[in-house]
This record gives sequence, C-alpha cells and structure tokens, in this order.
Amino acid sequence: MNCLKLLHFLNKQTTKEVVLWQPLDRKEGTIQLKKKVLSLNNISKTYPGVLALDNFPIEFYAGEVHALLGENGAGKSTLIKIIAGAITPDPGGKISFEDGKVYSQLTPQIAKEYGVEVIYQEFNLIGCLTVAENICFGERYGAKVNYKRMREKATEAFKLFDIDIDPNAPVYTLPSSKQQIVEISKAISRNVRILIMDEPSAPLSVSEVEKMFKVIEKLKQQGTAIIYISHRMEEIFQISDKVTIMRDGKYITTLETAGTNRKVLVHHMIGRELKESFPVREGRRQEVLLKAEGVCGNGDNNISFEVNRGEILGLAGLVGAGRTELIRLIYGADKMESGNIYIYGKKVKINSPAAAIKYGIGLIPEDRKQQGCLMGRSVKTNISLSCLKKISRFGIINKREENRITDYYIEKLRIKTPSTEQIVGNLSGGNQQKVVLGKTLAAECKIIIFDEPTRGIDVGAKQEIYRIISELAQQGNGIIMITSEMEELIGMSDRILVLYEGKIKGELKKEEFSQSRILELASGL
Amino acid sequence: MNQINKQEMIKNKFTGIVKKYAMFFVLIGLMIIFTMIAPSFLTLLNLKNLIIQNSHVIIVAVGLSFVMMSGSLDLSVGYQISAVGVLTALLMTTKGFSPIAAMLCGILLGMLFGFINGTVAVILKIDALVVTIATTTVFQGVSYLISKGSAYSNFPESFRLITKSAFLGINTDVWLAIISVLIASIVYNFTYYGRFVKAMGGNPEATRLAGINTHFMRISTFVISGMFIAIAAFILISKQGTTNSTVGPGTEMTGMTAAILGGISFNSGEGKMWGLVVGVFILAIIENGMQLAGWNQYIQYIVKGVVLLAAIGFDKYQRAVKTKKSKKNVVVAA
Repeated sequence: MNCLKLLHFLNKQTTKEVVLWQPLDRKEGTIQLKKKVLSLNNISKTYPGVLALDNFPIEFYAGEVHALLGENGAGKSTLIKIIAGAITPDPGGKISFEDGKVYSQLTPQIAKEYGVEVIYQEFNLIGCLTVAENICFGERYGAKVNYKRMREKATEAFKLFDIDIDPNAPVYTLPSSKQQIVEISKAISRNVRILIMDEPSAPLSVSEVEKMFKVIEKLKQQGTAIIYISHRMEEIFQISDKVTIMRDGKYITTLETAGTNRKVLVHHMIGRELKESFPVREGRRQEVLLKAEGVCGNGDNNISFEVNRGEILGLAGLVGAGRTELIRLIYGADKMESGNIYIYGKKVKINSPAAAIKYGIGLIPEDRKQQGCLMGRSVKTNISLSCLKKISRFGIINKREENRITDYYIEKLRIKTPSTEQIVGNLSGGNQQKVVLGKTLAAECKIIIFDEPTRGIDVGAKQEIYRIISELAQQGNGIIMITSEMEELIGMSDRILVLYEGKIKGELKKEEFSQSRILELASGL
Repeated sequence: MNQINKQEMIKNKFTGIVKKYAMFFVLIGLMIIFTMIAPSFLTLLNLKNLIIQNSHVIIVAVGLSFVMMSGSLDLSVGYQISAVGVLTALLMTTKGFSPIAAMLCGILLGMLFGFINGTVAVILKIDALVVTIATTTVFQGVSYLISKGSAYSNFPESFRLITKSAFLGINTDVWLAIISVLIASIVYNFTYYGRFVKAMGGNPEATRLAGINTHFMRISTFVISGMFIAIAAFILISKQGTTNSTVGPGTEMTGMTAAILGGISFNSGEGKMWGLVVGVFILAIIENGMQLAGWNQYIQYIVKGVVLLAAIGFDKYQRAVKTKKSKKNVVVAA
C-alpha cells in the first residue's frame, strides 16, 4: 500500500513535468494540469419507459484513473457503451475528443480510431482461437498470417503482468482469471488512449489484482485515461484518482479520491428520499415455512436462512453477489453441491423445478422473455401450464376447468387482456409479469420467489405488483424477493439478507433498515 | 369512418384466412395446374393411387411431428424404417413368427431406437439433431447386421392384408394413416402431454421452470416417433411385398419436408395436423403431376426444393409482419 502511494506520488510528479508546457485549462477556478482526452456533455439515453442516462456530463483526463460508482441500474454500463460506440445516445449530446472534434454519437470504428478499448464484464474472446490469435485479432500484417509476430506480441503483453500464459493455448482451456488477463492484454497491446474496465477484478485472485494494478500504473504513466468500474470499494480507493458518482442515470458529483472516504461515497450513492408508498401489512407469524441450511453451489457458499409464514424476505446485493444463483439452487433449476432444504421442518430433496413446485415453491424468474413466459402463446396456455396435469383426467385436459382457472387469475391479478386467447408477447410488461405470476399461483405454491418482479414495468403496474405481493404475504405465504431497487427493498421487506460475493454479509431487521447500512453491507464493508 | 373500419376488418379477415390456409390454396392451385397440363391427373384412379402411395409418408410425418413440435429433429428415421422393416420381415419369413408377433417386435425396436436417440441427447446434453446424425450410422449398421445384406419377400398373406384389404372402400393402410392423424390431433389439442410438447418447442427453459420434466418429454417424444415410424415401416414393406436394408432411407427427408411445408416449425412448437397432410400431398402432387405431364422426372426435385424454400420464406415474412404489428399495438396501448 505504501509502495503504491509512492507510485501515485511519483506518477503525479512526472505527469506534471510532462504536461507543464501545455496550455492550462481553467475550469471553475481550479487549474487542470492534465490533458483532457474525452468529454461528454448532455448525454441522455432513453429506453422504453426508462431514462438510463439523464443529461450526463463527464470529463476524462490523460494519465488518470477515473472510477465510476453507482448502484445497480445507475447507468454505468450505458455510459461506457456510449463511449465505446456500442449504443447510440439520444440526439442532442456532445462527445468531444482531444483533437477538438465533436460527435453527437459514436460508432465502434470512430471509438477505435481514438484508441478506446473496453474490457466488458462478459468475456469478448473467441474461445476456439489461441491466446495469440485473440490478442492480435483484427490486425493485419499483409496477406500472410504471421504467427511468429503474434506470439511475440502476446508474450510481450504477458511480461507486463509477470505471468506465464502459453500463447498457443486455445482460450477456452484457460481458467477465467487467465482469460481476463488475456482480455486486458488484448486491450492494452493496441494503441490504447482510453481504457474502460468494467468490473475487471471480478474473476481475478488477490495477487492477480495487484499485478493488474501495476499494469494500470504503467498505463497511467504512458498517459492513458482509464475508466474504472468496480463494486469493490477498497479497489476504488487503492487505484483511482477521481471518482464520479451516478444515481438513476443522473450525474451526482465528481470527487478527488484522496480527499474523500467511504461514508461520503455511500451517502452520495443513496442521497434520495423514499417516495413511493407501499402497502401496510400485518400477519407475520413465527412459523418457519422454508429453511435453507448451508447451501453451496453456483458460486454461492454456505448460505443459511429461514422464511416465515406471512413474511417477505428481501435479498439484497449488487450484481454478481449470487442472489439469482441462490434462488435457482433452492428452486432446483441448478444443481446444489451441498446443503439442505427444509419445508415445514421436513427435509426435502429438490433436484428439479418440478420437485420444487411439488413442495410448493414457485419462482417468478428475472428474465420474463426467456424464462417466464411462452411469448408466442396465449394467456390461457401460459397460466394453465403449471396446473394442466392436475386438471386432466386420463391425460385429457378439462377445458372448462382450464377456462375457469384462467378467468379467475385474470380477474384476481387484474390482467389487462382483451381475451384469454391473446398472445402474451403482445401484452405490456406489467401484464406479462402478472401472467407469469398467475402461472405460479395456479400451481398452488406457498413459497413464492420473486426475482426482480418490477424490472421494466411502468409505475402503475408496479403498484399493482406490490399490492399482490403484500396480499400473498398476508394470506400466510412466504415470499422471497430479490430486487435491486432500494425503495422497493426497504418498502416491501420484513427482513433483509444482504449477499456479497456469494456469502451472506448481514441480516437486517425492519427497525435496522437504512439505505446506507444495506449499501455498506452490499459493498462488502 | 365506421364504414372504412368495417371494410378494413373484412379485408383483414380475408387476408388472415388466406395466410392461415396458404398451403391449402397452394395444393388446390397445383391440382388445377396439373389438371390443365395432364388430363389424366384428375381421375379417380390417379387420386386414389396418390393417397395409397403416401399413406406411410403421412404416418412418418405424424411421428416426426412430435419430435419437431418439441423443438428438435430426427434424421435417423430412414434407417429406423430400414431396420424395423428387415427385422419384421426376417422374423416372419425365416423364423416362423406370426405377423402379429413380428410386428410387435418391430414396434419395440422402433421405440427402442427412439429411446436411444432421446436418452443420449438428454444424458450428453447435446442437441438431439446432432445425436441423430450419429445414430443414423448406428441404425444403418443394425439394419445390415439383421439382414446380412439379403432381401426378404414372400411375406405371409395375412401380413399383406395391411395394404390389400379395404374397409368401407378405403384401404386399411389409409385407415391407419387417418387414425394416426386423428390420434395426434387429439393429443395436441386435448391432452396436457401435447400441450407440454408444444410448450417445450416454444421455450424449453420456461417450460422446465414451470415444473415440467423436460428430460422425460424429450425422450418420450422420440419413443412415440419411433412407434409411428415402425407402423409406417410395416405399411411400406407390405406395399412393396419385398424389403432389404436399402428400403427406408430418404423417407426422413420427405417426411420432414412435408411437415415443414405444413407449417410445423421446429423452433416454435406450432403446427396443425391438417397442415401436415396438406404438406405430404403437395409433395406427392408435384411428383405425380410432373410424371403425368411427361416432364423430365429429375426436375421434380428442384421444384420440391424451391416450393419448400418459398413456404419457409413466406412463413418467416408473415411472422415478421405479425411482430411488427403487435409492437405497434403495444405502443398504442401504452
């Protein structure tokens, strides 16, 4: 740590020397010594129903590590995708580069010309090609493929990391940490001026992260601007010079990392009042419905918790904390490595979703289109899918019963559909979600797991979903709810479990709920 | 305003019908064209022959439809027919089995083949299509091992009754085809099993998460397909009066082409049984009509292929229009 601070210091000294001859850029009374390489102004991005970025301004300087900080859905990914030219912002914004050119939108080609390289959260490598081929992908040295040069280039890149990776190995044979290093090497082996790193440390071990930081320091000295996204707060303090905080697509503030602390950052990340109203509810009973004990698998480690009757248990955590993974284990959608599940105190074995439903566990999955609905089928087919077996005699469906059940749930959940035969894909997001819910309820589940129940749903429908969830709890069902929306989490839950990197970081009772406490736990503090 | 709306509604309804029954109109159109070119086409005898010749193809297509509706494909059908055919023939002619016993063994073999295809796909977690590419060769080997390369004929008369007898003026094998289509229609429209097959074709992951045992479904669709294929094999060899290991291969392509023509797509779990029958007859009429018209018989393959591409293209276009329209609707609703 001391050594790093020294490096910081030295680095600042050297860059000062280098840039002293440049014209001084006066801004808000402070003197900026570093060269501005990229500045964004008035950048907005609207998705149907969501404003992902709202008139966003930001500036990046050469030789500086600029961290972006914000909760899930704050707009970090949208911002970097705009800089990479992967998505187009709404018209009216300005993106200006160091040579004075101004664009209203970028394409991947333009971004490449200015030396923008992105390390995305998901790997962008081609698994069947070798390490060297991946690193030199898209480069040409004349008509012939020059394997020798490619290998040399790869080896040279790995020297920076002080790591030995065989340049001839196909990428898919490497563990994910090595793949990440290949990914970083690929980005920096080009003429990189602006390097964007989205959660680069997630697959890396502690020592590899240290090595990566050394590489970042080296890049800084070469005058590369680095945009660094991470939910690990300690890393931000270790490596970044500046940190910009975003919230709900809005620019909040930019701070010098050295002059701030974690409490201040968390405060800026929340900084909002709870405004939506949530149904008031009683009837929580001390009667354990579901108990999970030492659940492992899917990246989750030794997780134990209980759900009582009439209770809403909130699962909090940042993206990648293992929330969805956990409930998929409990629902039998993925294989549990070890651990036990008890229902009404009785040990049960859940190895498939079919078994989960048999024991009364229902899931409203995160991805409505891929996992929740049959988008091309009617409302009726969707709702009755999970109970068809029950309403059949000798395999023949009792159509009258099917219609009755469908009508019942359409009315009970107030699904707005012209008829039971309407194709689900043509309904609005909120109504699609209600159809999925109807399907789960038709299977007569007692423990209902909601994974991001209000994602991509408009405000009115959100209130309806809240009302339904509350009613279900009131009737004595047990609810597990994953949500990335803080208001929803605090407003709806009776108890909150906070996950961090596959482990339970803390449990909060209703009276202990506070945005800062939850965010602190979720950030691993 | 109201008037325009009404007119538009009638127009929409009309285009809807045309689109829905497009293949049926193609069938009628082909019949009209060939009647004009070759007068002998539209004779009772020719049409009767057409139906009798294709009874087994319909049953193959019905069997295949279970696999295709659930979102997969089976390329090994041809050699399944071949192996079932030679086994049944061998048992009847040289081992002294009664036709009923021999056919039972044949059906069991067909179901076993299906079980192998489905189980391997489930256990190895690979696409069943890829599995059947491999098992095609395996079943070919099985077929030649059973027949040792020899041909069988002189089937018992009772076995040949499958294609030689008639009931109410309709051949027994045609009755079998009709019954197969009816059974499949009932399964798809009235049973939960059929609903699950279609659901799986639409979205396997959502189906699994809805608590349906998709592994069992995958295997069972192949087993059912194997059973229908065995029945088709009996009809085929009974019709021909002789068989060897080369009888059968090729049928899988005809069956699949017919099924796709009839609107059974293998990634959306959609399709109707009447469409499948229409598909079979479109292919049959192209072949038969061109023969009667005295054209070069090899052109028929090109025409069949082009018709298939046109049908798929039309379907794709129609879907694109549908989703565009529905998107518009959502915007309006919001």
